[in-house]
Amino acid sequence: MILQLMVNALVVPLLLMGVIRKAKALMQTRRGAPVWQPFYDIARLLKKGETISEKAGWVFVWAPRIGLVVALAAAILAPWSGAPLPPFGGATNYLLVLYLMALARFVAMLAAMDTGSAFGGLGASRDATISLLVEPVMVIGLGALALAAGSTDLSVIYSAPVNPVVAALVGVTLLIAALAELSRMPVDDPTTHLELTMVHEAMILENSGRNLALTEYAAALRTCVLLGLAAQTLLRAAPGFPLLSGGARYAVGLAALFAVGGLVAVAEGVLVRLKWRGIPSFLAYSAGLSLLAALLAVLKG
Amino acid sequence: MLDSNVWGGSALWGGAALCAWLAAAFVGLIAPRPRRHLAAIPCAVGCLLLAASAFAGGGQPEYLRLPLALGDAPFTLLFDPLSRWFLAIIGAVGLAAVVFSPGYLEHLRERVPVGFVWSAMALLLLSMAGVVLAANAIVFLVAWEAMALSSFALVATDHTQREIQRAALIYLGATRVGTAFLMAGFLWAHLLTGTWDFSGWNLHGAAALGPALLILVGLATKAGCWPFHLWLPIAHPAAPAPVSALMSGVMIKTAIYAMARLFVLDGHLAAPALGPILIALGTVSALWGVLFALLQHDLKRLLAYHSVENIGIILTAVGLAIVGRSWGLPALYQLGLAVALFHTLNHAVFKSLLFLGAGVVDARTHTRDIERLGGLIHRMPATAAAFIVGSAAICALPPLNGFASEWLLYQGFFQMARTGPTVGERLCALLLMGWLALIGGLAIACFVKAVGVTFLGSPRSRAAEKATEGTRGMVAAQIGLAFACGALGLGVPLLIAPLSCIVASPGEPSLLAAAWTLPTALLTLAMMGALAILTLAMARLARKNPARRFTTWDCGFGPLSARTQYTATSFAQPTLRLFGAVYRYSIAIEVGGRNRRYFPDSVDVRATHEPYLETRVYAPVLRSIERGAGAFLMRLQAGSIHQYLLHVALVLALLLWLGVRG
Repeated sequence: MILQLMVNALVVPLLLMGVIRKAKALMQTRRGAPVWQPFYDIARLLKKGETISEKAGWVFVWAPRIGLVVALAAAILAPWSGAPLPPFGGATNYLLVLYLMALARFVAMLAAMDTGSAFGGLGASRDATISLLVEPVMVIGLGALALAAGSTDLSVIYSAPVNPVVAALVGVTLLIAALAELSRMPVDDPTTHLELTMVHEAMILENSGRNLALTEYAAALRTCVLLGLAAQTLLRAAPGFPLLSGGARYAVGLAALFAVGGLVAVAEGVLVRLKWRGIPSFLAYSAGLSLLAALLAVLKG
Repeated sequence: MLDSNVWGGSALWGGAALCAWLAAAFVGLIAPRPRRHLAAIPCAVGCLLLAASAFAGGGQPEYLRLPLALGDAPFTLLFDPLSRWFLAIIGAVGLAAVVFSPGYLEHLRERVPVGFVWSAMALLLLSMAGVVLAANAIVFLVAWEAMALSSFALVATDHTQREIQRAALIYLGATRVGTAFLMAGFLWAHLLTGTWDFSGWNLHGAAALGPALLILVGLATKAGCWPFHLWLPIAHPAAPAPVSALMSGVMIKTAIYAMARLFVLDGHLAAPALGPILIALGTVSALWGVLFALLQHDLKRLLAYHSVENIGIILTAVGLAIVGRSWGLPALYQLGLAVALFHTLNHAVFKSLLFLGAGVVDARTHTRDIERLGGLIHRMPATAAAFIVGSAAICALPPLNGFASEWLLYQGFFQMARTGPTVGERLCALLLMGWLALIGGLAIACFVKAVGVTFLGSPRSRAAEKATEGTRGMVAAQIGLAFACGALGLGVPLLIAPLSCIVASPGEPSLLAAAWTLPTALLTLAMMGALAILTLAMARLARKNPARRFTTWDCGFGPLSARTQYTATSFAQPTLRLFGAVYRYSIAIEVGGRNRRYFPDSVDVRATHEPYLETRVYAPVLRSIERGAGAFLMRLQAGSIHQYLLHVALVLALLLWLGVRG
């Protein structure tokens, strides 16, 4: 169990980022960097020095650290890989996990404002807008899923039987929400060259060196948690999966996670970024699905 | 029971506190100018005594009967678990405000009689304690009116400014309207039950609804609940910061106290219809408050709108309790009431903290317009840190106290979704969870804006550049409240016992302990440990490669100025556009110049919004009242002494006739 936790915290997140990049490169008929590249990147960034803006204070210095610790906590507390959770008491609560992520976002947005850069403010403003749309969707979606389990505890939610249709609806809801929350296509393009059009990259424009390494690692952890939860939820809709246990469940879970990662890469290969004003409409699909899931969960429960 | 004193620790300490405040009110008036803050000492002593009274006496109710009577109502004070909860709030927030005030009032001393402010503040504290202690409607109304008048005097502190005169008059008008409804409701309840004692009001169902609705309007006006909230964002910013903290943190909560006492506990006025009404009012209030807060660039006005939001959250919880009782779900009932009380305490702590922070900013920069601030974190580090903690708490971020109470509210909604009687109600409960998350998201946007533009970045004006940290007292009050935010978030298990004592009547099992399942203290400890390790590792790396200080990335165009930063207006713009329908938001851009496509000479951007509750609903109503009253009252007040004498004679005759008849 400890081994699984270590693998989940240290290996899978960066590997997932590498796989997404590799898949995207293949989509674009490039050979692409090896899947281990994110590990080298982090190691290189940690070795480098960092440059901090003269205007920045302690908020800028501490935000990436808090962000990383919170992301680690979320990665440990959420059952995103299919591995059974260690007994953490009630700490594996989905609302706690979501609000921990909100805490990380709050400090990240403050850090972006701390340098007095217009890019930071722009990114923070957009991030705040997107997340206020995404948050209710995730709360309602996971709430609908939790209704059958009768508890908001994630380890109970993901071990109780659930209506496969609800699971499928919530899974897609979470997937769309995750795309927005993680600043991925079609909401935000992580590889564009113009800061003005970005959300996440604009926020971390001033981060460099080890500061940036922490931020990138935290982003990888958050990607794992959100995409993993979406994958796990979708798996609940598959017949037979609830019967699996132990290693098989973990293996299928990881496979699903990487499959979802591949899906994200495909989306990034074929989609164009939405206009900023089109994003609420895109998220409205997610909201609509979560409402449907809620209705269905209430009717069946 | 009511006729005799039942003495105990609470009554003793509480009585002493009231005496201390009475003394402070006199000291404030007679203190010589060089010792103008002398009244702070009895004020602080009173707050401490009141807090002691809240903790003394265990769970038993105590009565303190003063040798006074108003009509057939004795002047009786009741100390029970519910009033003790609010006494603790008044004592704690009052103490912070008193410690903060001497430093703050200094910057007003040219324009304002400081001793008078202290007297009014002591009276405000006294009357707030009186409201939560009143055992019958008459004492309640006396204290309620004293509270309204003393807070009016405090709002009007800086009365040489026109803006403040207007705010004070609007506030006075709102309190008059509220009290009128309250009186009507009390009279009705008295008519039905024949007693002024709250404990004697046992009305159920339809009989309770009439008086309950009138009382609800009166209380909602005081609480600042939508649609009666209009005075709140006008009056709270006009008052001095410690007074705003008291008003927003405590005074509006006395209405919550009265709701808990009259509508929820013991079923004094048990009208099940109140539950959905309160939930509806609360949800609208919360969303409305936070949406309009996002629009504000005056720091204190922004905070005042957040009070509307949080009152909405509290009212929703009160509604949940009533709904739970009428459905026969004791777990939901207990959870709803406990959340309402817990969030009341939490909001009192973080909102007063934020108002005190805004007070330091106001006192040191002489502006509350955040567009003229920036970079204050370097000049007032303690205030900035405390303000950030308070912001995180109000945004319900773990592990602080706002999160604890909102998480419990989520659990309440979840229970409603699981056990509600019909599909519609259960679906509503799930949607309410989403609603709470939306409010949380909006609050985060609003406070990132407030903190980011006020305290971070670079200063946007000379005043912000020259600002200094507040005095030691001002800083101490804020740090104390910031620690309280953390302690209340981590110490929830310790609060379960006093809350259970309130929500579960004797003999009933308390279901609260089962509701709180988060080991936040342990989790926070673990995360702090991880943070420490991470920091050590970073420090090790920094030894090899120290960090370099350099300018913020300027795209190679040369040094950035404060004006190239993101403004509060631009920060809020995406959200404003999203909710444009609510604000009637529109933006007009005019580009001028010959070659205006590429090289415009002038760009004029005008964003407008319409607070249409004010302009479309209240303004016409007020205008028609004004017109009617003008036509009618003008005739009565003709300025002729003969006519006035006639009025006096007529009224006298009427009263005599009534007296003879009755």
